[in-house]
Amino acid sequence: MEAVLFYLFGALLLGGAIAAMTSRSAVAAAVWLIFAFVNAAGIYALLSAPVLAILQILIYAGAIMVLFLFVVMMLQGPTLKSELKSIGDRKWWLPVGAILVALLNWMRGVNLEGFINDAPAGFGEIKGVAELLLNKYMITFEMISLVLLVAIIGAVALASNKKGMPW
Amino acid sequence: MSVVVPSLLKITFLLTIILGLVPVLIWVERKGSAFIQDRTGPNRASIAGIRLAGLVHPIADVLKLMFKEDFRPEGSHKFLYALAPFLVFFIALLTYAVIPFGDFIEIAGVQYNLIVADLDIGILYVLAIASLGTYGVVMGGWASNNKYAFLGALRSTSQMISYEISMGLAIMGIMMIFSSLRLSEIAAGQGDLIWGFLPKWGVVVQPIGAILFIVAVFAETNRNPFDLPEGESELVSGYHLEYSSLKFALFFMAEYCNMVIGAALITTLFFGGWNIPWLSRDVIVSNVGIVMPIQLGLQFLLATIIALLFFMRAKREKNKFGDNRDREPVFMGVIATLSAAGVVVALGATPWTLGPNAASIYATLLQVGAFVCKVVFFCWVFIWVRWTLPRFRYDQLMSLGWKVMLPLGLANLVVTAIWLALV
Repeated sequence: MEAVLFYLFGALLLGGAIAAMTSRSAVAAAVWLIFAFVNAAGIYALLSAPVLAILQILIYAGAIMVLFLFVVMMLQGPTLKSELKSIGDRKWWLPVGAILVALLNWMRGVNLEGFINDAPAGFGEIKGVAELLLNKYMITFEMISLVLLVAIIGAVALASNKKGMPW
Repeated sequence: MSVVVPSLLKITFLLTIILGLVPVLIWVERKGSAFIQDRTGPNRASIAGIRLAGLVHPIADVLKLMFKEDFRPEGSHKFLYALAPFLVFFIALLTYAVIPFGDFIEIAGVQYNLIVADLDIGILYVLAIASLGTYGVVMGGWASNNKYAFLGALRSTSQMISYEISMGLAIMGIMMIFSSLRLSEIAAGQGDLIWGFLPKWGVVVQPIGAILFIVAVFAETNRNPFDLPEGESELVSGYHLEYSSLKFALFFMAEYCNMVIGAALITTLFFGGWNIPWLSRDVIVSNVGIVMPIQLGLQFLLATIIALLFFMRAKREKNKFGDNRDREPVFMGVIATLSAAGVVVALGATPWTLGPNAASIYATLLQVGAFVCKVVFFCWVFIWVRWTLPRFRYDQLMSLGWKVMLPLGLANLVVTAIWLALV
């Protein structure tokens, strides 16, 4: 059952990603990307990481891609065809693809001892994630929130009508 | 198999309730708005002269929509235009998976939880699905190739992004108090009493959170006073302007499904879920000989009063219309009488002497009934608010979301955290 679901999500994910790259309409590409993200969430859920799966949908598929679509849709109506060539028309995709396949082939030989373990009980659930974030990686976690705070302050400063800083 | 069959039964039950509520809610909306605006409301559609106060209208609406032309405007995006209504409806139905509609039901010694998927991260799931909900609206608005529809889609996006944050902040207070993200645990936790008499409902322990959440749910479901994506006076009818036939019906039904889900979420998080205040499962099971006759007696009284009122009306308005409509009060009165007679039969069978197993199932049924009653009440609140308040202006909407609700939500969170740390 798990294997069937894995290959199903994997195939849909790859299909969505390929469609996102090859579609000429930017809006269609964004929609395919959302589809790919949702399927990636399905794979996370299979890897006993339910929190990650939900956050993938909540943040990537839900929040970030909405803003993408928001912008892209304003640039392009449903009838407009993009002037850009499809990635299928490019000449350089063959060597790049060959390098990628070679890399994947090389990775098959890498010794993964120590990386692949059976997940301990409670792994990937909200409690385990919270304990990691707020104990082991607390400094990093707080620093990331500082970075975000700086970004918010910057956005407010840029959007403010007054000349100079808003305070 | 031990999972599949009960899950299918639970899903069927939920779908029946939701899809059954939709036409009733449409009727209540039209009739309720007529009541609030002092008009008669829909009452023209009839089956063999019986009009049932407009209850026939949903059937007529469905028939009309089914036989309308499935129109597609020129220059629209074929695929996304067709996909959008399905997506909206699909996502509207997804959230029900994590909503507990009862405690558990014990059949033949096995306990079945009355929730389809008891996720460890139920609240996050709700938020994630809610954040996907905007895509159908956005795609529909964009793919229609219509400026009004597109403006509606843009408004919907920004509105949903803005109010999702307050919604999350409001839920976080509840999460901290019940220290769980599992909706079934939150619902069960609200069965306790504070100081022995006050039910520990979310609205009691988190009053500000409850207000914020209810407002945010109104915004997320695009209902008045936040229905700017539709805004008929400005955008004709917003994102579903170009849709006709059953595609429009899907948008329309999704709105009501979202309303039911909003009501179910408000109930589960802030109004005790399936809990009946002061009547826990143990109390019901041990006092089933008292609770059940009282409940049946009240039901009998209600049915009798309704029957009497209808018969009195039938006598008072005899030959008022001179056609089949005169028989309506009698028809309704007979239905009410039959239900009263059914209650008498149930009373005569004395089901409270059947033993503890039957008492446990009875307690479950009462709790499910309480949940459905609360959900229906909040659905009525949605309709009530829509026909009472005027629509916001767009800048008012944004300043309410970002300058009032966001700081209030943050303050509520800080106060809750301090309180929890001190107690």
